[in-house]
Amino acid sequence: MTSKYVILLAFLFAAGAHAHKPSDSYLALSVDGAAVQGQWDIALRDLEFAIGLDADGNGEITWGELRARHNDIAAYALARLAVQADGRNCKLSPTAHLVDEHSDGAYAVLRFDADCGTRAPAAIELAYSLFFDLDPTHRGLLRFERGGAAQTWVLSPERPRVTFKAGEGSRLAQFFDYLREGTWHIWIGFDHILFILSLLLPSVFIFKNKEWKAAERFRDTFWEVFKVVTSFTFAHSITLSLAALSVIALPSRLVESTIALSVVLAALNNLKPFVVERRWAVAFAFGLVHGFGFASVLTDLGLPQGALLLALVGFNLGVEVGQLAIVGAFLPLAYAMRGSWIYRRLVFYGGSAAIALVAAVWLAERVFDFKLL
Amino acid sequence: MKIHQVPGLALLGAALVASQLAAAAPFVPRDDAVVVETLPGRPGDPAVAELRRLRAALAASPTDTEAASDLTRRYFDLATEDGDPRYIGYAEATLRPWPETAATPAEILVLHGKLRQYRHDFPTAMADFDLALRADPANFAARAWRAAILMVQADYTAVRRECDLLAPHASELQAVACVGYLDATTGNSRAAYQRLSAALARAGVIDAGHALWIQTRLAEMAWRTGNHAAAERHFRAGLALGINDNFILAAYADFLLEQGRAAEVMPLLKGWARSDTLLLRLALAARQLKLAEGEKYARTLGERFADAALRGEKLHLQEEARYLLDLKGDTRAALAAASENYRTQREPRDALALMEAALAARDATAAAPALQWMESSGFEDRRFREAAAKLKALKP
Repeated sequence: MTSKYVILLAFLFAAGAHAHKPSDSYLALSVDGAAVQGQWDIALRDLEFAIGLDADGNGEITWGELRARHNDIAAYALARLAVQADGRNCKLSPTAHLVDEHSDGAYAVLRFDADCGTRAPAAIELAYSLFFDLDPTHRGLLRFERGGAAQTWVLSPERPRVTFKAGEGSRLAQFFDYLREGTWHIWIGFDHILFILSLLLPSVFIFKNKEWKAAERFRDTFWEVFKVVTSFTFAHSITLSLAALSVIALPSRLVESTIALSVVLAALNNLKPFVVERRWAVAFAFGLVHGFGFASVLTDLGLPQGALLLALVGFNLGVEVGQLAIVGAFLPLAYAMRGSWIYRRLVFYGGSAAIALVAAVWLAERVFDFKLL
Repeated sequence: MKIHQVPGLALLGAALVASQLAAAAPFVPRDDAVVVETLPGRPGDPAVAELRRLRAALAASPTDTEAASDLTRRYFDLATEDGDPRYIGYAEATLRPWPETAATPAEILVLHGKLRQYRHDFPTAMADFDLALRADPANFAARAWRAAILMVQADYTAVRRECDLLAPHASELQAVACVGYLDATTGNSRAAYQRLSAALARAGVIDAGHALWIQTRLAEMAWRTGNHAAAERHFRAGLALGINDNFILAAYADFLLEQGRAAEVMPLLKGWARSDTLLLRLALAARQLKLAEGEKYARTLGERFADAALRGEKLHLQEEARYLLDLKGDTRAALAAASENYRTQREPRDALALMEAALAARDATAAAPALQWMESSGFEDRRFREAAAKLKALKP
């Protein structure tokens, strides 16, 4: 050891001294038919270390100094990138040199063409080795674009190669991913299902003279369900969007507790009717809260900034699809059974009571923060 | 509703990344004289010349252990001085011919371990130091670094053992510093401060780097016990040593910010915006002072974290949590970052970041590990105690 103080500095620096960004390059490759083009942003600091740019050694790199090394930069960088189209090597040739500012300093921007022949390639393979010899912590951050859809990849000494095949990662696929997640979420989110069911259970009845009577016309039941489901949907779409876009944020415990409360109240309302005519308004009011619940899931999934709307619409539609499936399964069955003792006693009263009980436990769990169910 | 784990969505995270990559707008500078980049290290800087000399020495004899460790050590020092991880990468490349095995000299293994811990790979770092100690049981550096990592992991019993094992190979000041650092984190700041001050006085003239370390520690201990005048004195004494040091600047800036002295932070950190840790303090100070550049600092910081996320690495989560909480006002994300951070990093300021994020999110459960640490360590700082008390009051 040259001096022992360095060692004791350990206590200062162990962890947390990572104050800058490590070395990254940003490589964008786009394929449009047979045309393959690239843009490569490489930090001037890295190029200075690798090939030297500061000709006069004054600690500043001027555009003149950089321009004088353009050929060397292109030769150095492009020799460390191999692009193959369907197994054939593409010839890379520089087309323009620019400069760009990234959050950690100035970058040389190298634009290039990749000549991969005259056929639109099905598979593009990339092998990257820039700076890995000098700095194994360097990463190539790749953005691959084809047909309006982009994919990204981090290239490292451990994983320096990547292959992109046609038809991967399209916007449509992304949309369907979110749609699937939305549907899935409704199916596994029991509190949402129970809330909707509590509101739907009485829809095959009409409340007259202080008691529930079987509805006489399917049309009445259908409109009742339609109003409830539409207002619930409308309400949770509003708050889902606002929360997902970070316009409003509510503490999750408050949201989750209120959702549980909404289920309790909706179920109790069946046992001792309080709101009868305007169940759609209840659905709307509590729908606003359920929307925040959906949003937390969407946030956990991560929202793609470039396709925010797409993700939102996809997820929301997924929720609706899941919801409609529940309604579609419930409604015909309930309508058919509405006059029976089983439906009235067991399903309606028994079911509502059971829902109220389960939701009350949820409510207690969420408010007082413990685990029972 | 519980938060459900949803499979198969790596693609969506990637989509976020994609949009970040697309944000750039390249240009052609107006003429040849335009300065496009300023390099760290001015011409005539002896550090630049020394680096060149060390590189040349290694190039002349690429298998020379001594030349490789000298260059690696220099790179490591540069990385810690201004927090630039590029030097860590260069250092790793330098050590490539020497694998992390028992056949490699202890001195090189210690360097490997230092690089590993810098990248927060603590298990491998500990293994490297163990290998070094097996070859050379008296290796002071390996012992000190093990203690430092255990400190980060808040394993205080193990730290005390390391301090005991270190004492026979250390100076009195170093031995006192090891135990003092531990005591000051476990509720005995006042006594630790006394002992370390006395040891410093007895030690006479010590080198500047060592003095910087001691002054920073003394400042922290005094601050912790509410002796702000003494803390101020030690911070200033440390800064007066004239060593570029990211850590003391960050600590002093935090001290000033806590005392509402943001106006003094601006000149202190002028020219340090390159460092994320210090840019955070600049942004916080500018926000306190309602300066126009506050927005710009905060935006740049946000971009840095977004850029870092592109790599898929999360190395400064504590800073990110503070950024999310204090500058962006995103309590939910701040709590997530602080919680994730606390899983691997358990220094006092990591606990504070977690408690403050949990407090903002009104989620005492999330802060449980930090509260537990507060209980068991007996950490004294008033700000910590207040945060912990408020969190406990949240519970029904």
